[in-house]
Amino acid sequence: LRLYRKEGATVQIIGFPNEEVGKGDYLTVEDRQTGKNLIIQVIDVQYANVPGLLEELLRDHDDTSYVQGEDLDPLEVATHIAYIQDARLLICKTRASSNNGELISTCSWLPPRSNSAIKKLSTEKLLDHSKADGYLVHLGESMEEKQFHVDVRALDGSLNIVTGKKGTGKSHVSKLLTLSLISHGAPVVILDINGEYAGLGQSIDGKVNEFHGRIHALTPGQNLKVTLAQLKLRVMLNILVNALHLPGTSAREFKRIWYSLEENGNLSMRELGEAIRNWKCNQHVRDALFTRYHTLLSSGLFTDNQAQATTLDDSLLKARAGGAVVINLRDTSIVDRLIAVEYVLGKLVDLLSTWKLRAVFLFAEEAHLYLRETYWDDIVTRMRHFGVFTTFITNQPDTIRENIYRQADNLFLFNFTNENDLETISRASKVDAETVKSVARDLPLHHCLVLGKIVNEFPIVVNIRKLDVQAMGKTRLFFSEID
Amino acid sequence: LFNAESALASEGNFPSETVLVKLKSNLTKTPIVAIDVSSIKLGETQTGILLAIRGAVVWKQGDHYNYLRLGPFPFHITDKNQDEICGLLRNSNQTLCLRGHMLPNISQVQTRLTTLLERWIQEYVNQTTDNSLMLWDGSLTAGTPETPAKDMEQLLREARRRRNTILAFSKITRLLLRGQRITDLGAEQPPPWLLKIENYPVFAGPMHLLGNVYVAKLTAGSCAFRLDVDRELPNETVIDATQRLLGNEVLSQSYPEALRLAHIFSTFTANEVLGLQRCVVKESNLRIVERPNIRRLLFDRFGKGAEG
Repeated sequence: LRLYRKEGATVQIIGFPNEEVGKGDYLTVEDRQTGKNLIIQVIDVQYANVPGLLEELLRDHDDTSYVQGEDLDPLEVATHIAYIQDARLLICKTRASSNNGELISTCSWLPPRSNSAIKKLSTEKLLDHSKADGYLVHLGESMEEKQFHVDVRALDGSLNIVTGKKGTGKSHVSKLLTLSLISHGAPVVILDINGEYAGLGQSIDGKVNEFHGRIHALTPGQNLKVTLAQLKLRVMLNILVNALHLPGTSAREFKRIWYSLEENGNLSMRELGEAIRNWKCNQHVRDALFTRYHTLLSSGLFTDNQAQATTLDDSLLKARAGGAVVINLRDTSIVDRLIAVEYVLGKLVDLLSTWKLRAVFLFAEEAHLYLRETYWDDIVTRMRHFGVFTTFITNQPDTIRENIYRQADNLFLFNFTNENDLETISRASKVDAETVKSVARDLPLHHCLVLGKIVNEFPIVVNIRKLDVQAMGKTRLFFSEID
Repeated sequence: LFNAESALASEGNFPSETVLVKLKSNLTKTPIVAIDVSSIKLGETQTGILLAIRGAVVWKQGDHYNYLRLGPFPFHITDKNQDEICGLLRNSNQTLCLRGHMLPNISQVQTRLTTLLERWIQEYVNQTTDNSLMLWDGSLTAGTPETPAKDMEQLLREARRRRNTILAFSKITRLLLRGQRITDLGAEQPPPWLLKIENYPVFAGPMHLLGNVYVAKLTAGSCAFRLDVDRELPNETVIDATQRLLGNEVLSQSYPEALRLAHIFSTFTANEVLGLQRCVVKESNLRIVERPNIRRLLFDRFGKGAEG
């Protein structure tokens, strides 16, 4: 490996075919005289612009119908020529520098071309895990096919985004992170749009695993039902206004009805219906309230039967010492989904603000399908202060606003080939656009570019390890069933 | 000016020392073999110079071409080994350059080694083919250290014996006739034609011209080439050979495709030079010395001309 050029943060290295360096690999450029090191990452591998190559390719083209022949090359010079022909140009980005073993994020010096030694740098050396004892999570394998660990505490207080095109392994890494958090005693809430997290308590062969008792799957309308008495007015108003778009005037009337029922100790769905019917108010307001009332009724989330009611609090408190509450939103209508999510988030804030829960890790898959627009900022700013640390998982990166990306602490980026998607991610991620576009485009299946504080701000490509849990998130196929 | 104009032949305004022959394609199947050799300087070492040579033989078979590339052969020429290298290619006592404690003259050595390999390939091909058209790059000039007249005469004799006709095409010529470059003659004549330059001097100093000089314009286009053909061959044979070339070969800008391919296959690309330099360094432990361009150092952008 030879140092060729440096322009800004971009360093170009000449590599030869026998030197195995790929996209995502780290290299150190060591100034032999001063001992200073430049830490660079390969973001693209190109053919070196060897002079005369075009002439050679044109001459040696494979059109055998026109010209064919043989070479008498007793000295086997051709192998040396091929060696030069296959020379590669490694496009690298400067990530840090080090002086006497101390990492410095800036690099204002220029390594000498003539006296620099370029070597591969293992990710182990890059990430100092000396203080992470007991908090290490086996995420997968690094580029050098060695076990790759991260400090799970980097997820604490963080906003995380998992994104990549369909079928590349997003849900898989989310499950891995979920189980890692659980095994380190953290409570996790999952808004499960595809009903694929309920099987985390079972291994692939269907047997119960160590997480079995710690996964609490709740399906709205089935085993997730609440009485009005369990709800706070604030939560109910959030549902009515945000999920069911109740106008302000009608919301004020609803508040009065609620207070009246509360005073009389009659807070139930049946009594709520009666009260709306008999309430002295404008007919339009009554109609508006009735429409919403029937939507609430048909959602199946609300019950007057105490025996049927679930206390979400109990499930959340059970998960407090390491467990997951999976809110299964599969097969629920859009409106019912919105209602359920408003309820769950409201409940979370209640528990967190009263310190019944210290913090919770929220995993939201395809959140644009059930989170109202204004909630995004709420989740990443206000709710973060309450202790809701969210991980958004999506295959449509443009559904997450740019300001959310900018606030993300960690990004788990899987393969994208669509230019628009790459553009969206590259504009917003914590690393330069060139790295994101170049590396993400060529990530193989289940390989992920991890960015952020979980990797000490060193972008690292990881082959995510397999999990022995029921996937359930796999696409249902027609032909495989027939076969 | 007046004299030159009046001397033009009536047909096509050619000088009187020339004979124009209009050509027709002869489709009789005739094997065509083209030979070319290239060389390049790879660099300098502490004790000498590094050169590489490669030859190519291209022959037409049906509608397609076959080639055999010989080399590349890298040479490290020092004042001590130059005769030995010369002897490898030719069993003779030719010296490549000035004797004594001097570095070999690069251009001289390069030309001589290239010509030696070229003659060696030409001899070999000549001895293994018959009834063929042999296309060479260059002229039929002999009398140089690497091409003694007797060797070239022997080569031409062998070709005649095997009924091979050697057609030597020069891409560039400095020959003038009445002050005009010979390849500029007859620009208005519709091709294909051959223009024989009569009574061209056989000797010029030590140089011995063993061929008759023609100008060949075989296809439409702006190019015409000097063509040398064995002086001993009758005119009819030359005309027949050229007409067979017309009937059997693809010609572009009057130049035969086989010869064009031979040139392409023997020429070195910049990448090959790098590969050869690597080969020499790896296999022979020689160190290529970067010598400063003195002209550049002294005169900066005004320092044109050869390095050194």
